[in-house]
Amino acid sequence: MSSLEKRLAAEKRFKFYGMFAMTLSLFFVLILMYKIFSTGSGAFVRTTINADVYFDPNFIEVSSNSSKKEIMKASYVDLADQVINQNHPGLDEENFIKVREMYTRKFDYQLRDYIVNNPNVIGKTVNLDISASSDLDQIVKGNYPRNVPEAQRKINDYQLSILDSLDSKGKMSKTFNFWFFTNGDSRDPETAGILGALMGSFYALLICFSFAFPIGLLASVYLEEFVKPGKITDIIEVNINNLAAVPSIVYGLLGLGMLIGVFGMPYQVPLVGGLVLGFMTLPTIIIASRASLRGVPPSIREGALAVGATKMQTVFHHVIPLSLPGTLTGTIIGMAQALGETAPLLLVGMVAFVMEIPGGAFDPATGLPSQIYLWSESAERGFLEKTSAGIMLLLSFLIIMNTVAVLVRRKLEVKW
Amino acid sequence: MVDQNSNYALQTSEVYVHYGKKMAINNVALNFPKNEVTSLIGPSGCGKSTFLRCLNRMNDVIDICNVKGKFLLNGNVDIYSPDIQVETLREKVGMVFQKPNPFPKTIYDNVAYGPKIHGIASSQNELDEIVKDSLHRAGLYEEVKDRMDDIATGLSGGQQQRLCIARAIAIRPEIILMDEPCSALDPIATAKIEDLINELKENYTIIIVTHSMSQASRVSSKTAFFHLGNLVEYGETGKIFTKPDKEQTNDYITGRFG
Amino acid sequence: MLYLSLVFVFILSYSFYFYGKKRALSLKFKKNENLSSLPDYYGYYVVLLVFFPAIIIWFFLLIFKSNFQEMFVMSPVLFPDVATWSSGKFGLIMNKISNLSMIVNLSEIDLTVGDKSILKMASESEIIAAKNLANFDKIYGWSNLTLFIILPVLLGFLATKSISGKLNAQPIVEKIISYVIKGSSYIAIFITFGIFFSLVFEAINFFRYVNFMDFFFNTAWNPNRAFVINASEGFDQEALKEAFGFVPLLTGTLLIASVAMLVAVPLGLLTAIYLAEYASSKVRDIAKPIIEILAGIPTVVYGFFAALSLAPFIKDVGEGVGLPVSAESALAAGLAMGVMIIPFVSSLSDDVIKAVPQSLREGSYAIGATKSETIKKVILPAALAGIMGSFLLAISRAIGETMIVVMAASLRANLTFNPLEPATTITTQIVTSLIGDVEFDNPKTLVAFALGLTLFVMTLILNIAAITIVKKYREKYE
Ligand SMILES: Nc1ncnc2c1ncn2[C@@H]1O[C@H](COP(=O)(O)OP(=O)(O)OP(=O)(O)O)[C@@H](O)[C@H]1O
Ligand SMILES: [Mg+2]
Repeated sequence: MSSLEKRLAAEKRFKFYGMFAMTLSLFFVLILMYKIFSTGSGAFVRTTINADVYFDPNFIEVSSNSSKKEIMKASYVDLADQVINQNHPGLDEENFIKVREMYTRKFDYQLRDYIVNNPNVIGKTVNLDISASSDLDQIVKGNYPRNVPEAQRKINDYQLSILDSLDSKGKMSKTFNFWFFTNGDSRDPETAGILGALMGSFYALLICFSFAFPIGLLASVYLEEFVKPGKITDIIEVNINNLAAVPSIVYGLLGLGMLIGVFGMPYQVPLVGGLVLGFMTLPTIIIASRASLRGVPPSIREGALAVGATKMQTVFHHVIPLSLPGTLTGTIIGMAQALGETAPLLLVGMVAFVMEIPGGAFDPATGLPSQIYLWSESAERGFLEKTSAGIMLLLSFLIIMNTVAVLVRRKLEVKW
Repeated sequence: MVDQNSNYALQTSEVYVHYGKKMAINNVALNFPKNEVTSLIGPSGCGKSTFLRCLNRMNDVIDICNVKGKFLLNGNVDIYSPDIQVETLREKVGMVFQKPNPFPKTIYDNVAYGPKIHGIASSQNELDEIVKDSLHRAGLYEEVKDRMDDIATGLSGGQQQRLCIARAIAIRPEIILMDEPCSALDPIATAKIEDLINELKENYTIIIVTHSMSQASRVSSKTAFFHLGNLVEYGETGKIFTKPDKEQTNDYITGRFG
Repeated sequence: MLYLSLVFVFILSYSFYFYGKKRALSLKFKKNENLSSLPDYYGYYVVLLVFFPAIIIWFFLLIFKSNFQEMFVMSPVLFPDVATWSSGKFGLIMNKISNLSMIVNLSEIDLTVGDKSILKMASESEIIAAKNLANFDKIYGWSNLTLFIILPVLLGFLATKSISGKLNAQPIVEKIISYVIKGSSYIAIFITFGIFFSLVFEAINFFRYVNFMDFFFNTAWNPNRAFVINASEGFDQEALKEAFGFVPLLTGTLLIASVAMLVAVPLGLLTAIYLAEYASSKVRDIAKPIIEILAGIPTVVYGFFAALSLAPFIKDVGEGVGLPVSAESALAAGLAMGVMIIPFVSSLSDDVIKAVPQSLREGSYAIGATKSETIKKVILPAALAGIMGSFLLAISRAIGETMIVVMAASLRANLTFNPLEPATTITTQIVTSLIGDVEFDNPKTLVAFALGLTLFVMTLILNIAAITIVKKYREKYE
């Protein structure tokens, strides 16, 4: 009897271990998500300082009837300084610098953009929300502690007192940080945006898709429908299975050694990144597509052949269309993996500091994950936030892509 | 020996089929009279399907299958000759399979597919006409005329099989091969198909493999009995089922087999 | 422009379909004669003859754009002796020209005034070359565009011209397509060759500088020592001997992978068992996809998490109990990697456990065994080979994983088996040696390829072993 009790206790214990393991795994997902969301959500909000801006013609090199190009090219640094003097009267040189540091370094660009959109404003006074510097932003958000000795703070006592007085006058406010979605990278966290990286990833995925999808589809068609089993198919078969398990960094070396080293393709561009991702995704697509082709019952092929269709017609009119949902599902999942792949991008140079939004696959660019890596390497707290926000964006894209894959499978796949 | 008599839609002789090393058909000679129904019967695995599939070269798709022998269509066309295009052959020799295998497309597209790839219709109207006519002959038109754009896999099994027959006759074949066309169907659907076969034989030569002796006697005028890859006996259906020459045949039809 | 020309290739090819078809339909025939193929196939015939040559040339021009650029800028017309230049000189001048090109491009700037010292220092032909470079994109784009209008049209008309009643288009079309299909499947092989040769080729270059034995058996890794160069004599041989010792990278890789496996194997296996044998279908339907999420999270995220939260946390805990823990401990990287591999182990094991025939289970229950006894005594032994296979795949994954270790592990090599100490890995060192200046004639860059080749071989062996084991296992129960 007692032996049975022991056995039942062992049974209970074992089941508990299993449940514990599973709960722990789920717990990891939660912790990860929590950590990302709690650090990243701040990136979507930006602290601003309300200021009266007199667009003093004396400090502006251009006039309201200058061309847009001229307005873009002119300098507004003096105007920005003038605005600070005007809003914080009576600053000596030392304090002026301290106050200037509270505003974004790109103050002048913000003014420029305003003039570009409203050229008639020159000579008038407007009330504007000027972006705060990232350090101030972090203090306001509570990410930097206030109650530590001044030496350990990025914002000194004088700046804090200015901040408090601005705050009491109701000049501090927060806006949605659309810059995060419309800007390229920047040295200043407050103006750094993800769009450049997003476009880099977009072009890379475009190249990846245009390479891997048609070739993967046709290769699987050849292997499943046309070739007789034999040595060559075996070689290709083993090959593809191994390619699927090669570490991604090795593909990066392929890109660097062959595409860049031998073919002389440019460094840092989505074209090369995309091709490397395409090489990597190809086996995934071939494996998925072959499984999907195998799922099309032979009776369909026989039916088509029996009415006198050629092999090619049978395959292109019946077999491929029927297998396409499965192939597409595999492709989307493969592309989602490619989107998150970082190491190959690192090796082909898509980790540089790039401010411009790339306009094509030939422009230097980073990718979404490599931008995340870049920001994560930066010490500033403002970039930490950006890193997490970048991850949130990346994860949303992955979720969207995987959802689409599931939907494609559910809605389009033919059940036999 | 092959007889030049063109009353035969199809003449075969010295047919040997191997799957790899394994023999499936051993020296069979069999002729199929025009506009008649011939049944192929025999125990499972005796090679009926294999033989049938030789007649429109469906065995070509099986790599290990090796077919030898003389096959003459209409007394003059050697169907295994290198200058015969297998697609053209299959246009003349249609096939209906054991399990209904409509394409997962619309009913209309299923029937129109053959005429389209062979360029049989010169206009959309003509194609519509062919589809309608084929469905009509297959006895399906009344049931599906309002839902031509429905997906064919939504039809019942019997309807699907008649759709496959319609698909086969839409390319105006001379011969229709049927491999146990009713084995997946219930008795009512089976009866419908049998009626259909009786109608179709006016215009087509039909060769049907069946496991049902009663079906063979209901639809066919000639019957061939296969055993272990050999053609044991061939003759008028009535004779085979009442007083066969060979003992093996007798054993099989009286159910005393193996 | 290049994209625009691609659009033209597509549009023109597409329009030629109709043209070819129309041409076929307009042919006059005698009685009892007709087209040999369906009219559509004459359309396809023309399309293929237009599309494939054009697209191949397009790809060629895309991929070799920078080569054309170099040829165009460094033309012998401007620099008569360019053929005799060393690659170093070539690179220097090219660099200068590309710097120049940024200035000459700004048309507003008066080239003669101001401090344009590089302009003053530049020779006449260099300035012309810089202008050429600045205009290259435009010239290249426009010539492409022109080419991809003229070429398809020309091809299209030639192909259409060849259509006659006797031409049987269908077999030709099918033949072309069958070559395309076949070619596609060989690309997979080319990629493997590409990987193999680019690794082997550069690795051989590396071993020109560094002795094979020194690389694999030295225990010190200080690649920066390779920089002790003396311009005239090349690399300092003694320093090179000491710089690249692979051993600490291997131990570091194995150390971190072991930590990862210690996390992933029990958690993954137990999770798989629980989900396969105990959990209700409701729990399974919810838990499985959530755990799969772990597998879909890019590794850069794990790396960030490990560096940001896990490593400081472990350090704090360690210091709390009085253990000296490095901020870049192997433990932190290994733990994060372990979490990443859990779903990998669990889903592979799940497949394997499910493949164990039900009859074995029932046999065990029938003699009164409890569920856990059945699992431990019957199912796991039966599934052992398959589970081992999945572990091997997981190890291969762990060894090849890059981002987690790049972000959370140390860059400094450290020959240790203590997970609380910092350690570096093969992949980390590949990345480190390639970030920054990439010079294919420097062992510091080339070592990445030697490391890559080693990694490739290691993972290949693991994968082949795993695939073979799993395949054997599958056959057993089929
Ligand atoms: N694709 C194939 N590969 C190998 N052997 C085959 C193949 N198809 C059929 N055979 C073999 O050839 C022989 C004849 O098979 P076939 O299908 O023609 O028999 P059948 O008379 O149609 O049987 P059933 O009445 O069960 O359909 C059998 O022994 C079978 O095992
Ligand atoms: Mg059969």
